[in-house]
Amino acid sequence: MSSPYPSLFRSEEMSLVQLYIPSEVSHDTISELAEMGNFQFKDLNPTVTSFQRPFTSRLRRLGEMSRRIRLFHNQITAVVPPLGIPPLSAVPPFTTVGPRAQNAFDELDDKLKEHERRLNEMNKSWEELGKRKGELEEKKWVLRETAGFFNEAEHRHTEIRTSFDEGDDRTALLEHAAEFGTLPGEGISGGFDLEFVSGTIERHRMPTFERILWRVLRGNLYMNYSEIEEPFVDPISGKETYKDVFIIFAHGPELLTKIRKVAESMGGTLYNIDSSQDKRADSLRETSARLEDVDQILFNMSQTRRVELSKIAEGIEAWKDAVRREEEIYKTLNLLSYDQGRKTLVAEGWCPTRDITAIQLGLRRAVDTAGTSVPAILSELRTHQTPPTFHRTDKFTEGFQTIIDSYGMATYQEVNPGIFAVITFPFLFAVMFGDIGHGILAFLAASVMILYEKKLLKSGLDEITSTFFFGRYIIVLMGAFSIFTGFMYNDIFSKSLSIWQSGWEFPHEAGAVVAKATGNVYPFGLDPGWHGAENGLIFTNSYKMKMSIILGVIHMSFAIFLQVPNHIHFKKPLNIYAEFIPQILFMWSIFGYLVVCIIYKWSIDWSQSSSAPPGLLNMLIYMFLSPGTIEPGTQLYAGQGFVQVVLLMIAMVCVPWMLCLKPYMLWREHQKIVGQGYGQIGSGEDAQDGEGRQPEEEDEVGNSVAPNEGGEEHGFEMGDVIIHQVIHTIEFCLGCISNTASYLRLWALSLAHAQLSEVLYDMTISGAFTTKAGLIGQSIYIFAMFAMWFFLTIAILCVMEGLSAFLHALRLHWVEANGKHYMAGGYAFTPLSFAIPEDDETA
Amino acid sequence: MSSFMTVVWIAMICAIAATAGWMFTPRGKNQALIRSSIALTITCCYLMWAITFLAQLHPLIQPHKTGLRWEN
Repeated sequence: MSSPYPSLFRSEEMSLVQLYIPSEVSHDTISELAEMGNFQFKDLNPTVTSFQRPFTSRLRRLGEMSRRIRLFHNQITAVVPPLGIPPLSAVPPFTTVGPRAQNAFDELDDKLKEHERRLNEMNKSWEELGKRKGELEEKKWVLRETAGFFNEAEHRHTEIRTSFDEGDDRTALLEHAAEFGTLPGEGISGGFDLEFVSGTIERHRMPTFERILWRVLRGNLYMNYSEIEEPFVDPISGKETYKDVFIIFAHGPELLTKIRKVAESMGGTLYNIDSSQDKRADSLRETSARLEDVDQILFNMSQTRRVELSKIAEGIEAWKDAVRREEEIYKTLNLLSYDQGRKTLVAEGWCPTRDITAIQLGLRRAVDTAGTSVPAILSELRTHQTPPTFHRTDKFTEGFQTIIDSYGMATYQEVNPGIFAVITFPFLFAVMFGDIGHGILAFLAASVMILYEKKLLKSGLDEITSTFFFGRYIIVLMGAFSIFTGFMYNDIFSKSLSIWQSGWEFPHEAGAVVAKATGNVYPFGLDPGWHGAENGLIFTNSYKMKMSIILGVIHMSFAIFLQVPNHIHFKKPLNIYAEFIPQILFMWSIFGYLVVCIIYKWSIDWSQSSSAPPGLLNMLIYMFLSPGTIEPGTQLYAGQGFVQVVLLMIAMVCVPWMLCLKPYMLWREHQKIVGQGYGQIGSGEDAQDGEGRQPEEEDEVGNSVAPNEGGEEHGFEMGDVIIHQVIHTIEFCLGCISNTASYLRLWALSLAHAQLSEVLYDMTISGAFTTKAGLIGQSIYIFAMFAMWFFLTIAILCVMEGLSAFLHALRLHWVEANGKHYMAGGYAFTPLSFAIPEDDETA
Repeated sequence: MSSFMTVVWIAMICAIAATAGWMFTPRGKNQALIRSSIALTITCCYLMWAITFLAQLHPLIQPHKTGLRWEN
């Protein structure tokens, strides 16, 4: 039964295996198993919450480590100019196994902590200095900008004074100032006694600020502001803010306090500056000097920080990988149960039976790396639990298997439709997509992806491209088959090829002509004589429709036949003669007969025959409506009435056969068990699997047997069986009809594809060839039209139509074919492996 | 019926080819995949060809065309 090589036909045979791992090698053993990636651990303490598990504190520490590494990673990538992080392959590996591994991890933990502390310190002072720098810069701006205001105000001051002297045109502010008598005396030249508040505020707050001040001070202010062109960059978040410098002249300490309060509440920063110009100049000089110092320090600090980060960057990939592995290992160790007395850990899990030897070798390797002498002991358990489903796929079959797995994971050891989908899927796609040109385009695109797959894998792809990349082997086959079906339809970018001698001869006459048959049959594909013919569609429609039916019936019959290896493998002969035989008979007596009639009708030369060719659709309909009688003139062959009656009777018999035989046989079997007195011993099987198991696990096994076996042995429910069988029968019989009709989508889609491609050609290039626009004009026109045609061919005919044909091929496989035999009641094999999360990260 | 026999002959050639493919597939981990792929490819392509061939064997209608331009 077990062939020496794994195949896709059935899922791998799996074994439930128990490992006794001495605690000193447990870490390295798990690591070795994860390295091989073919062992799925079972949770042996499902009742224990994750907090109570033995290695939770260790995991928390590792979580902390990986948080630190992520933090470093973010800071390294944020630094400008960017620092390169050497890839995992370029850095010396971090030892995660062996006797020194624990110490190495502790050291790494300390190292990470130290790095984090240093970085935090640096970041903190960086932040502080950055803030300081911002403040200084703002002050510089305030000093610079207010200088302008002061000059202006001083200028106006004199102006106003003259106007004050001259007449009563006064500005409100100075009027008040004059009233209160604080206007400076004439003799003081540089002094400017009006009190003021100055500072900065964010630009978008400026209008609100102004309005509030106006209301609060009832207009008793003179305000001036100017914009600072350069944005201020926040040292932490890197956000840019634009600010304005303002200066407000007002009078009286109360008003000034109010202004200060308003400004502070609006998020503004106030800077004290002096009203005397000299002092302001001093202050500006001082600020600039300090700014320079701060800049210098900041620069030095960024250098140190950069050095520190680059030191971290050197090892970060190795650390990340090591910590990730360590986390996986401890998560797994948490699943094991600990035998206190013997100081061993007990692991249980599934592995492919074929790999047990490899696993045993791995266990021995683990002992060598750990430097101890006691290896883990592996023992196989006998069980009635359903093993997980595991198909060994490679990069070629992966895509096809995914198509099937997305419908449902195969039941353990069931016939896997994935192995057949490798060919049938691209073929059915191609029947809908048949065009040599489009096939070549798809084939070439996929070939390029396959040729450069290593390069493409390294450079990350975006989501859409990676979907196409994942399906590259599917697309390459779809393209290849499309080229073949394109030859069959004789269709290349909506044109036809005349490779062989056509079977039609057109008379050399003007106007409407009818071709004469030469008696020659075009040997490979559709005769080019039909291309461009007015009644070409009538012919191709009839041809493609019949082809869809024939291919559909064959595909469905094939799917029904796939039941047989399943029934034999699962030792259910009853299903063969109570389900498979009536199903195939039912199918063939109606649609198989239709297919035979189609082929027979094609093989008869009706021009030599005495009767006209009958319509097959009507024939099938009247086979049901008036069995046994054939309308004169619609006879296909002699004895047709009798044959049809017999076939109809077979189909009729098949329905009760499917419906009743299986429930009856099951009921009889059950009666026999009851008769022998075993009726109430529902869980009789538990006795068999006690071997090699701990007594406390008996219960668990008994529980998991029950749902797998269904209601047949345990608690036989006749009602359920009958209802199930009725549904199954109705589904099959109605499905036969609707599914056969469903294959007509092959015709519909290929018709649509051919017509669309013809319309596209006619609307673009075809017009350009006949245009009368001179040599240059026509050249340009043709060039432009060709570009448009090519672009639309790719976008609409290849990509859009391709996706639609893909979906229809998918449906035909999922519903029409898989529905006939695929039970899909399994669960996937998910082994512990170091490789998988890495893929996720890169994707 | 001689043309109908072409379909039968080709069917036999295809059957022989498929059997040969089945027999001469080297043993290895992809044996089952290669075998089934060869057999299915030959079957699919043969079916498609045979249907196309048979559909044109005894045509019931002739192509009509208008506005054909002859070179001389």
